Amino acid sequence: MLGFIRSRNFILKIIVAIVFIYFFGLMLRITLDYVPISSNVSFLMIKQTEVTSRPEYLPIFYAHVYSSIFALMAGFIAVFFDKNLKYLHQFSGRVYVFTTLLFSSLSGIYIGVFANGGWIAKVSFVILGILWFYTTYRSFTEIRKRNIQQHKFWMWRSYALALSAITLRMWKVILVYLFHPNPMDVYQIIAWLGWVPNFLLVDYLIKKQKR
Amino acid sequence: MKHLNLIFASLIFSVALISCKKEKTEIAGTKPQKDSLAANQNPEVHKEMYGIYYGYFSPEDNLNDGEYTEEDMVKKISIKINKITKDSVYGQSVLNGNQRTFRGVLNENTNSFVLDEPGDDKTDGRFDVKMKGDSLVGSWTAFNQSAVRVKHKTLKLEKKEFVYNPNFMLDKDTDVVDWTSHKTKKVSYGKNDDGTEESYETDQQRYATDAIFKINASKQKLTEKDLKNLPKLDMEIIKNAIFARHGYSFKKETFRQFFNQSAWYVPVSNNVDAELSPLEKENAALLNRFIKYAEDHYDTFGR
Repeated sequence: MLGFIRSRNFILKIIVAIVFIYFFGLMLRITLDYVPISSNVSFLMIKQTEVTSRPEYLPIFYAHVYSSIFALMAGFIAVFFDKNLKYLHQFSGRVYVFTTLLFSSLSGIYIGVFANGGWIAKVSFVILGILWFYTTYRSFTEIRKRNIQQHKFWMWRSYALALSAITLRMWKVILVYLFHPNPMDVYQIIAWLGWVPNFLLVDYLIKKQKR
Repeated sequence: MKHLNLIFASLIFSVALISCKKEKTEIAGTKPQKDSLAANQNPEVHKEMYGIYYGYFSPEDNLNDGEYTEEDMVKKISIKINKITKDSVYGQSVLNGNQRTFRGVLNENTNSFVLDEPGDDKTDGRFDVKMKGDSLVGSWTAFNQSAVRVKHKTLKLEKKEFVYNPNFMLDKDTDVVDWTSHKTKKVSYGKNDDGTEESYETDQQRYATDAIFKINASKQKLTEKDLKNLPKLDMEIIKNAIFARHGYSFKKETFRQFFNQSAWYVPVSNNVDAELSPLEKENAALLNRFIKYAEDHYDTFGR
């Protein structure tokens, strides 16, 4: 029985890892569009108002793009190897907390303020950024207190929010395929759809674990 | 002696130089004279016929060979008559972005023209057209009968005034469906009893929104905010409305379909870049950027 559960979990983990690597590859490709640094490439093509009128926009945008790809990978490794490979868990966890708190979440809040899609999208992205910072910070303080379960739960929440980078873009592909909405209409929807279901799902998983 | 030679040589040289200069001025001096002489010999006649004639250009007879290609379609052509003299007619034809200069003659007794395109393009040919009031009717015959499938076409053109006016907007009744391009999409009926999926294929047409009647890129300075929520087709039409106002003849059928529905649209040229105002140039550049973004990113994994 124990062997069966272990092997089933093992297969599940393999599938999760493969799916993650696939989507991480897509995210990496998007990130590499921004190498070398350019002021009018990809997403920035429709952000020239901010780029030209706010000198801080471009550096903060690039801080977000370049740091987040590391946070995405480091966070996955930390969550994936939460029981074994202690050294790898600690190292990747430190990288995740460091890049998220110092760069990714704060820059995310800033670019959220200037997000496309009007106030509906802006509010969503700013809340997302604040929650991401807060959950990551809580997870960090819990482990300093050696409170492993709370550390784990807060990190689940934090990483569920980090994964919104992927889920948001998935929802976009799905919605565009099904309904062909105008670009900013879909943007307002995915701004919320990207992280709220993730957050609810992870909350459900936490409640299940506590029981 | 040496000195004398040198002086002599330089003298010859300077004389040659002066005479050379003189010759040049002489040529320059005689040129306008020659021109006016030519003009006197060939005075312009029938200036009232000058202008743009625009209308239908249709294959003369149904070939019934089972094929139906772009050649078989009814198109709209512009014939522009620039100059008529006793023995020559000058002008150009513009068809779907293909601009050809022609030369020909006018028979003043019958008011009929014979106009020849240059002949270095396989679609060049001869127009036999007759002026009837304000319309120009007749036929066209390809020079190279083996190069084209449709060898004869008829023309029915009306005289049109071309004026640039930045206020021109697409006619309010314009059909907003893009009939020229479509995607086939599989739609599922659901599952059969035996578990196989039943589906049928349907054409998906693109359609433009109201924005194409509201945003004028020849008059207002467009901002990113104005364009962010527009579908690609809207932006393409808003951009090409600039060119349509300047009389651009579109190579792409989509834009011909849209602009042909407005009475003011008269295609007269295959290149109007030089006519664009600074505002129009700026807006076109912005629109190009947004169109490119929509192309690359609208339906892909990304933002």
